[in-house]
Amino acid sequence: MRASLVIAAREAASFFRSPIGWVVIALYLLLSGAFVALSTLRPGEPATLRAYFGVSQWILLIVAPAISMRLLADEARSGTLESLMTAPVSDWAVVLGKYLGSVAFLIAMLAPSLVYVALLEALANPDYGPLLAGYTGLLLVGMLYLAAGTLASALTENQTVALLATFFFFVFLDLAATQGGRWLGPPLDQALFSLSVLSRIADMAKGVIDTAHAAFFLSASTVFLVGAVVALESRRWR
Amino acid sequence: MIRLQDVHKSFGAVEAVRGITLQIAAGQVVGVLGPNGAGKTTTVRMIAGLIPPSCGTVTLAGMDSVSDSIGVRRRLGYLPESAPLYREMRVGDYLRYRARLYGLDRRAGRAAVGRCAELCRVADVRRRRIGHLSKGYRQRVGLASVLLHDPQVLILDEPTSGLDPAQIAETRRLIRDLAGTRTTVIVSHVLPEVERSCDRIILLARGRVQADGSPEALVKALPGAGRYTIEARAAPPSAGAPRSPDQVLRAVAGVESLEMMQSPDGWQRCLVGFAPNAPDQRERLAQACASAGLLVRELRPQAASLEDVYLRVVAYADNAHPAPAEGAAA
Repeated sequence: MRASLVIAAREAASFFRSPIGWVVIALYLLLSGAFVALSTLRPGEPATLRAYFGVSQWILLIVAPAISMRLLADEARSGTLESLMTAPVSDWAVVLGKYLGSVAFLIAMLAPSLVYVALLEALANPDYGPLLAGYTGLLLVGMLYLAAGTLASALTENQTVALLATFFFFVFLDLAATQGGRWLGPPLDQALFSLSVLSRIADMAKGVIDTAHAAFFLSASTVFLVGAVVALESRRWR
Repeated sequence: MIRLQDVHKSFGAVEAVRGITLQIAAGQVVGVLGPNGAGKTTTVRMIAGLIPPSCGTVTLAGMDSVSDSIGVRRRLGYLPESAPLYREMRVGDYLRYRARLYGLDRRAGRAAVGRCAELCRVADVRRRRIGHLSKGYRQRVGLASVLLHDPQVLILDEPTSGLDPAQIAETRRLIRDLAGTRTTVIVSHVLPEVERSCDRIILLARGRVQADGSPEALVKALPGAGRYTIEARAAPPSAGAPRSPDQVLRAVAGVESLEMMQSPDGWQRCLVGFAPNAPDQRERLAQACASAGLLVRELRPQAASLEDVYLRVVAYADNAHPAPAEGAAA
């Protein structure tokens, strides 16, 4: 675990050493801020951030893979992965460290949005329960996207391929989960629908904290990380 | 310290390493030499535990490189070719990061970073970004990073690749300083690299060990290179019709090449080449010169060099195990 934390700290710091980290944060805040300003901070609107959470799940679908695309792909391309793998650290420690570093960056990216909460507090009397549920949902879906992106980044040395693979995987997954049920009928349609990430996050954006949703995000993230470890190990055998 | 027992490694249909067995004792400085594609990097990557052998066993300090890979890596400092580093990091930050990766606590890490930065002469650039350094400095930062945990074994893959002559000389000096206290393996396809730094050379070609020994022993074991140096000049006119050394030596049976250089004092320096495996030709050359009345002040065989050994071994391996036809491995 110590090695994972060492790798995570370097990884998180590396986002801020390159312009891309700052650009990603700036773009995210610009887009989400504009949306909050136009849709929430208006007379007569309820004191919630439901609109922000709603748009953020879409922004995260492209921003999270942009964060994770370089985790292992860039290391493999530049050769630093070989240096890393000669240190006495397990493949698990490497994957977990990379992932935790990207999660730390995600938290750093979401943290400035707490200004919106402060604005709501200054202007009205918000209910903090839905706000907590919304932020938990954003974090969980972000962690899921990052875990899938870590797997994609372990499978290829091309960052663009890793980004597109992660993005389209979730687009197709959601399309299949929400539309595929028509052809399958009950009870398979319900099973397929349960794979829809966006419908689960929509529930949480409304303020619903469902442990089934949390378990889904966490277990799916774990599956992707196990896949990334297997992909990393398989490099030794190729 | 390092032991390989009948090690093979295949990548698909391509057999990169074909049955290598060797031992490297503690404290030895060994050069692994061979042409591109000889299996050098594959071999050291197996020693470092980065890839497993297809069959056979690799052990380092008694630990198996596959089943006890972490233990092997604790005792090993491995610098891959071109020293890949995080270019956006500062030198000091990078060395501290590597120290923590090797499990050194804060105090031990700080001491190790200071010691290795001094040893590898990068202390003056600790605050600079790695990406802003010259190649020579980056190579030394890479070296410092693999020495932090004071490894028993040091493996350097093409340590002077891409450096200019001054940087090469500096890196060689550094490697010689480092080699004194630990088992060191230097992988290279550059002859002077290993000739000057190593007390043992392992020549690989076509995935096999083709020669193994000290540079002197390898050269000594090689039959004469078939080249001779003669300094001669035509006899004075009173001795009869003068013949030039060029005419005399060209007439000797078996001469394959002849290079003439005129010395300022009137003597001619002749480099005479026979077939590489021809028997000693000194007597025949002396007789030819004497019967033509040439004055000779030097006649000696040219000693075989490590380059001769290298070329002979690689040529032998190519003849014994020709490369598969293009596309055959696909």
